[in-house]
Amino acid sequence: MSEQGIGAALTRVEARDKVTGAARYTADVVLPGMAYAALVSSQVSAGRLRSLDVSAAKAAPGVLGVFSHLDRPTWHRVPAIPYFGETRMPFSDDRIHHAGQHIAIVVASTRQQAAHAAALVKAEYEAGKPVPTLEKALPSAYVAAQGNYVNFPQETVRGTPEEALAGSPVRVKAEYRTALISHAPIEPSVTTATWEGDELTLYDTSQAVVVHRGLVATAFGLPEDKVRLVCPLIGGAFGAKTHVWGHTLLVALAARRLGRPVQVVITRKQMFTTTGHQPPTVQRIEIGAERDGRLRVITHDSTNSTSFVAERPENTVLSSVATYAVPNLRTRVRLARMNFGTPTAMRTPGDGPGSFALECALDELAHELGADPVELRRRNHADVHPQSGKPWSGKNLLECYRIGAERFGWHRRDRRPGTRREGNDLIGYGMATARRVEHHRAAESTVDIRTDGGVVVRTATQDIGGGTLTTMIQVAADALGVAPDKVTITVGDTDLPPGAPTFGSITSGSNGSAVRLAAQDARGAAIRLAVGDKGSPLHGLAEDAVDVRDGRLFAKADPRRGETYAVLLTRNRVNPLRGNGKYSPAESQYETSTFGAHFTEVRIDRDLPRVRVVRHLAVIDCGIVLNTKTARNQAQGGIIGSIGVALMEELRQDPVSGRALAPALTDYHVPVNADIGQIDVHFVNKPDHNSNPLGAKGLGEICSIGVSAAVANAVFNATGRRIRDLPITPRRLL
Amino acid sequence: MRTFSYVRADDVDAALRAITDEPNAKFLGGGTNLVDLMREDIERPDTVVDITRLPLAEVEELPDGGVRIGALLRNSHLAAHPVIRSRYPMVAQAVLSGASGQLRNMATVGGNLMQRTRCLYFYDDAAACNKREPGSGCAAIGGFSRSHAVLGASASCAATHPSDLCVALAALDAIVELRSSRGTRRVPLVDFHRMPGDTPEIETVLADDELITAVELPPPPSGVSRYRKVRDRASYAFALVSVAAALDVQDGVVSSIRLALGGVGTKPWRAYQAERALLGAPATEESFRAAARAELADAVSLPHNEFKIRLAESTIVAVLRGMS
Repeated sequence: MSEQGIGAALTRVEARDKVTGAARYTADVVLPGMAYAALVSSQVSAGRLRSLDVSAAKAAPGVLGVFSHLDRPTWHRVPAIPYFGETRMPFSDDRIHHAGQHIAIVVASTRQQAAHAAALVKAEYEAGKPVPTLEKALPSAYVAAQGNYVNFPQETVRGTPEEALAGSPVRVKAEYRTALISHAPIEPSVTTATWEGDELTLYDTSQAVVVHRGLVATAFGLPEDKVRLVCPLIGGAFGAKTHVWGHTLLVALAARRLGRPVQVVITRKQMFTTTGHQPPTVQRIEIGAERDGRLRVITHDSTNSTSFVAERPENTVLSSVATYAVPNLRTRVRLARMNFGTPTAMRTPGDGPGSFALECALDELAHELGADPVELRRRNHADVHPQSGKPWSGKNLLECYRIGAERFGWHRRDRRPGTRREGNDLIGYGMATARRVEHHRAAESTVDIRTDGGVVVRTATQDIGGGTLTTMIQVAADALGVAPDKVTITVGDTDLPPGAPTFGSITSGSNGSAVRLAAQDARGAAIRLAVGDKGSPLHGLAEDAVDVRDGRLFAKADPRRGETYAVLLTRNRVNPLRGNGKYSPAESQYETSTFGAHFTEVRIDRDLPRVRVVRHLAVIDCGIVLNTKTARNQAQGGIIGSIGVALMEELRQDPVSGRALAPALTDYHVPVNADIGQIDVHFVNKPDHNSNPLGAKGLGEICSIGVSAAVANAVFNATGRRIRDLPITPRRLL
Repeated sequence: MRTFSYVRADDVDAALRAITDEPNAKFLGGGTNLVDLMREDIERPDTVVDITRLPLAEVEELPDGGVRIGALLRNSHLAAHPVIRSRYPMVAQAVLSGASGQLRNMATVGGNLMQRTRCLYFYDDAAACNKREPGSGCAAIGGFSRSHAVLGASASCAATHPSDLCVALAALDAIVELRSSRGTRRVPLVDFHRMPGDTPEIETVLADDELITAVELPPPPSGVSRYRKVRDRASYAFALVSVAAALDVQDGVVSSIRLALGGVGTKPWRAYQAERALLGAPATEESFRAAARAELADAVSLPHNEFKIRLAESTIVAVLRGMS
């Protein structure tokens, strides 16, 4: 830990506001004259609108306007995917692609009046025959052409996979399924739109205000500088707020037509149908290995559902491409269209479902070989990237295995399944590897030092609950040589220097690097000012002979000689002294990833087989950890989320209509506190400076990858039953 | 959401007058179910009559050793009441296994009896549902039927009754006291809820103008009692299967048994057939299993809920084994 901030276990700066209710979220925005919108949802999954009668809604008390495809909204242009989720703009035509699709927006003086009037809109449908489920869509699965979302190889071949399989002394082959799951953040998506002439301001629950500004500008045909996006705090996102969805554009449209600010809060039901989900997958894996456990070949075929208005393959197969040293490989991803909303990134896209299949298959191989699962993974460690052959920027996976096995007590595991018991409980241990590509994004920040010694960081990133406000303060404090409590931060506003999106685990590395560069710039400028200032005790020194600590610049050779930033800037009448930071990731000679190992213990009552995860340990290698408290908190959250994916999460669909059968969080199960046992998180905590200047890498996703496989592997160890379909509910174990 | 009128009654007579005089009126207790259903546009009363101020929230010990529980007692107070906890632990356990702390603080005993099903199709206004729109059909039968009943279902409806408390009350031979302008009547809990038959929209024998005023429990059965609930997560989930049991064993033989099931029936399910099989039988795992099978012999499964039959058997056996 640096004494000036990096790594310190600081409480998040907005914690008090959050627990006292003082924190302002997007739904707390109230503008003068603001009206409220409610969205009307399609009741059918396919077909077209025969008629839409809005007369009763228009006549209802307080109603200011009702808009639909009948009003023929003119969108300037369909924004490129990403980051608008679909190829069809809302209200473009009368066609219905999924139940829950927005078919009208009702605006009224109060939220209640809008909700009431929305219920009065009468739609008549010419219902089509829907493709209701992935199961029914599978026969028409296809390999998508490159483009749009399809931004990774849909098919990869390495070596001679078929020959390698034929010649493998040990083979395992299995089919795994993951469920349709929903982000279900506590805070629903919210947009407030207000126009002043041709200038649009959106208060929006956005994981990427800068990216989304460009998209909104495209849709309305505005220059980017005429659109401002503001997102003060997010109450959970998990990917649901990665893209702009239809409601944001519709509210902006309604606000323009009505000439007053309009706000919409998406209903809980609409959160399940109109802001994305993780699509269900069917994955077939075959592994060929030597008797000593060395992998010869992996084949991984994966199919996921997508909607009729977007082609979005889930990159599950990257797990097989990039995790282990295997000379032969074949992967393929296919899409199957169903009449459901459009899927999107959800913690963790690709690697979440992909690692479930791969890491379970490895466990099946270990069982087949009579090998220890950790040892099998060690034996197949990828010293370089197995596809590109490039070196890793930093990798401590072997250390994750070693620390994890020791701390967990892995040696107590009995390789014979179903043998460990305590009372009526079966006990099982399972483990899995985690690996995630580290993405880099350009980001900018300013850091101002003021004459009162205070520091202000300005950067248009967002805090979605991971502790970004606090970690960015720590990065600035560390680079400047000031105490973190002297630093304040402003984020979530496109009027600020363009920051990084808060998705894909890129905030710490990319935005952190921008803040660091800005703080270093400010510090350098201050030192230059001092050594060139006759009034400064540091006058005449070389710049590198000066250091800063606790806000005071001093001569390294004589620490008594010095002065504070405040005194220096006040005397020179510089307020503020601004440092600029611009992080531009360059083409690298390295492959950068984060790594980890998960170890888990389950207990299962033999008669009433609900799986309980009583103990989980994650050892994570994500470079240097910026704040051990927020990091542990984020990792525990990610692990809990994935325990939910393993054991209970599934957005169920009606097998005939395909409609989502989850009116509320009562029915869409995520873990409650009583489901959570002991969760330990250990960080390797070694900086990866080959990755970025800060040496920190993303944590939000690596912490949750592999958890569901570790749980399923523990269930096998406990019971001898291999459950290849998620979630592992009591029904599947009976 | 529709507009509606709100009336507050300060005594029982005023409440009964209001429910008679106002067309299409509903009593409002804790509101944890009714308000939710109104938001979903499933319940559509023109008037709600707020009865939360009526003096019906006491627990009174009766001379015969039973208790009388006011219909407006909050679930959390019921579960915490010393008489209930010491003499009817099954009731406290059942209440605490349901909903969440916040909901239990609001929900009333009478409202618990009137809870409507959590069938996902009942809540889906685009789906056919005979309970919601009589005669429209049932999308659950032939749809996703994992949560549905294996006992008591008809061709019209297979929705489960959602209450935990009512399962315990069924086991304990509770009596429901009903009042209307015509007078007072007493109905055994096991007869209060109706089987769906051809009219699943009619869920209880309560008349439109009647008010539940109290639930009476006879003296507790001898032996030990327990409520056990099996669900998909540790808390805040409806039962896959629940079992309310009171068991007394003398000299290795079952001398007294009360058994009721939740999560598997279209109403709180008193397991009379299992009780008959157990009474006088040796208190062994074999007897427990035979009794469970006797009760479940008539069970009928849909495509996704067959597991409930096996789970119900396992749960009955596990609960009785744990008590004997």
